[in-house]
Amino acid sequence: MATPTDSAILTLTQWLSPAYPVGGFAYSHGLEAAIDVGTVASTQETSAWITDVLDHGSGRSDALLLTAAYRAEGAGELAEIDAAARAFCASAERLKETALLGQAFGTVTGDVWALELAGLSYPVAVGRAARLQDLPLLLTTQMFLQAFAANLVAVATRLVPLGQTDAQRLLRDLTPLCAEIARQALQGNLQDLSSTAFLADIASMQHETQYSRIFRT
Amino acid sequence: MPPRARGAVQLGSKRLGQRSVLDGLRQSGSFKCLFPRTTSDALEAVLLNTAGGITGGDAFDLAAEAGAGTTLTLTTQACERAYQAQPGPYGQVRNQLAIGPGARLNWLPQETILFEGSALDRQLRADLAEDASLLLVEPMVFGRAAMGEQLNRIRLRDRIEIRRAGHPVFLDATRFAGDLSAHLARPHVANGAGAMASIVFAAASAEAQLDPVRRMLPDSAGASLLDPDLLVIRILAADSFELRRAMLPVLRRLNPDPLPRCWMI
Repeated sequence: MATPTDSAILTLTQWLSPAYPVGGFAYSHGLEAAIDVGTVASTQETSAWITDVLDHGSGRSDALLLTAAYRAEGAGELAEIDAAARAFCASAERLKETALLGQAFGTVTGDVWALELAGLSYPVAVGRAARLQDLPLLLTTQMFLQAFAANLVAVATRLVPLGQTDAQRLLRDLTPLCAEIARQALQGNLQDLSSTAFLADIASMQHETQYSRIFRT
Repeated sequence: MPPRARGAVQLGSKRLGQRSVLDGLRQSGSFKCLFPRTTSDALEAVLLNTAGGITGGDAFDLAAEAGAGTTLTLTTQACERAYQAQPGPYGQVRNQLAIGPGARLNWLPQETILFEGSALDRQLRADLAEDASLLLVEPMVFGRAAMGEQLNRIRLRDRIEIRRAGHPVFLDATRFAGDLSAHLARPHVANGAGAMASIVFAAASAEAQLDPVRRMLPDSAGASLLDPDLLVIRILAADSFELRRAMLPVLRRLNPDPLPRCWMI
């Protein structure tokens, strides 16, 4: 694979920065519920939660969906991948999260770069946009996963809470896993979809009825 | 190489007055179907694996169709057992369900028990007509807890796909190879749970069931409405007994007919 160009890296940095107006900071993916019931109450437990979700839950499945969307030929195939992405959501809030992030990403990226990205879930929209801009797939997936992990670390920083230094150390430690999952996704397809982060999924269901909450999911 | 078990069942239901009756049955190999007498108007079919379990290289195929306006309930006579397999092929299970206009299918198999060394590749696909209903449960038990069995060498591929009017509405997939007991011990995977069930209720009345079902669930379970006509429930439990205790009230609530006799504990 060719070495990513500087302009490709900078475009991805812009898309996957917390400042990009998709509103990722509003979603906790169910982590807020796990913190609320006390199963996540330390840096170590935060690390375990994010690791399980990355490695055995949405992290890996989103990487496969992004990769499939990048490789999709034509609108029909892309629509099938997007339908699978939605059908694979474990809860109503997970579905809402991927749908609204995808919609916001598609709107701003579509407007600024003149791309057709309407109506796609988040990993599918990012994969499609990267393909249309001819950005490198592996780096796109790695940065997508690192941004996902960074957002969850930010949720924990605020709610557990974690110290700023511990939070950054945690993200540094999670980054090699993001890179590895992205590499493995390159070898995979949608038959490899798997989710076994069962309690994290249940936490996202329970978040729907949580009495006091800051995050939308 | 020991002989491999093969079995196939095909069946359908049709309306006869108010009742749902059998509309064609073909069965072959180590897979049979029984039809107990019931008090309801639904057709109840009890599947029976006469090979006594599934191991590497086995293949079981079911194709069941609930014809227009019928209710078809499918269950199993016993728990399914996925036994130790030799290295090589998985034991393969393919369940194909079709639910016609105005029809309802209840997929209520008893637990599938994974034994150490098993290699199970299972796929269930359900195709619903626009206004059809489906109640589906897939309970799984991770080794026999009472015997302290650990699952250190497991191969598992399990996939459930539900489509309504051709459009995918639900997809659940598990692929795992290795030490399943260690994996399930992880605090945000299953925290050591020994049994799990997924329940899906696809019906026009799903939305109204969300709150009552939620109130029935233990802390290690969750329910969510993915669409006004699609309710999903995931239950983790210490063992198969606790799983049934959590699951049965939910199934009784979501199924207007009495549950199959084999479900009585």
